[in-house]
Amino acid sequence: MKKEILKEIIKRNSLKEDFAVLTNLSTGNSEIFNSKNLLSKEFKNYENKINNFYNLKKNGIIDGTQIFILNYIKPVEVIIVGAVHIAQYLIDLLKNFNFIVTIIDPRKYFTTEQRFQKVKIINEWPKNALEKIETNTNFALITLTHDPKIDDPALSYALKNKFFYIGALGSKKTHENRCKRLKEAGFGEKEIRSIHGPIGIKFGGKSTPEIALSIVAQLVSETNKLLLNSKN
Amino acid sequence: MSETILKNANSWIETKKKVVLATVIKTWGSSPCPIGSKMIVNEKGDFLGSVSGGCVEASIINECLELIKNKNLFKKIHFTVQDESAWSVGLACGGELTVYIEQIN
Repeated sequence: MKKEILKEIIKRNSLKEDFAVLTNLSTGNSEIFNSKNLLSKEFKNYENKINNFYNLKKNGIIDGTQIFILNYIKPVEVIIVGAVHIAQYLIDLLKNFNFIVTIIDPRKYFTTEQRFQKVKIINEWPKNALEKIETNTNFALITLTHDPKIDDPALSYALKNKFFYIGALGSKKTHENRCKRLKEAGFGEKEIRSIHGPIGIKFGGKSTPEIALSIVAQLVSETNKLLLNSKN
Repeated sequence: MSETILKNANSWIETKKKVVLATVIKTWGSSPCPIGSKMIVNEKGDFLGSVSGGCVEASIINECLELIKNKNLFKKIHFTVQDESAWSVGLACGGELTVYIEQIN
């Protein structure tokens, strides 16, 4: 692989784009491909087959060829509302996975750089903050403040914009009350039930890192379902 | 993860090291690392990343060092359960895999 291609892969990864790298296993040549790029002579003959793999985000040696395709998929975006202690553990765990993370919290004293490094932080009320982000159905929301005036507007936004994962921290009772408020706000039963609350899978943990781990396990599980569905 | 490995490959190159990138291109059965899993090796034998559950890494390092030594650009290596080069314990997972190694130049 030419080092220019390596640099280009790193660059495109940081731009969070969908693309693929094609490698001709018999010549060792590789090139970057996305639906906008034109294929070079070497790969042109297999354009249809390459497009089939690319559109299905399939990785591997393309049948009947010596071309290997590896897809780089735009990561899922995760919005965390509440720069509380659990958020610090969440950030630590999430960096091992392919997610783009943004923290929203209007309370500046929570979002100090000492507590959160190398994470995008928006110091605004969730409604304003979310409206500034171009969200889509590949977004996940995790609310951690269990303060209705901060969490509820974020939950409403995520429900309306059909985020694929919505999880809300809080006890069963807190969640019941939250569901009541959302119902009063006009959300349907099914929508409200789509919220993972209390958030996280159950494995009997009570400590902060354990709660963070249970949230990440649930988020990763739901993300895998999303990626699998998008392939079918 | 693959992002971190590629970034590391780039920083090795910037310090004038010779770097070989190994990528899993085909798997059969229960290979633990999916297609696209990556490992990098430099001429000193330092490595990062993984292409199996530890079964063939030693063999990959040797192959990468050979590639550099012989000034070859790329090679395809196939590992099966019986393959003795797959370290002495073989592929404990019972899987098979093909790894493509290439110099970054």
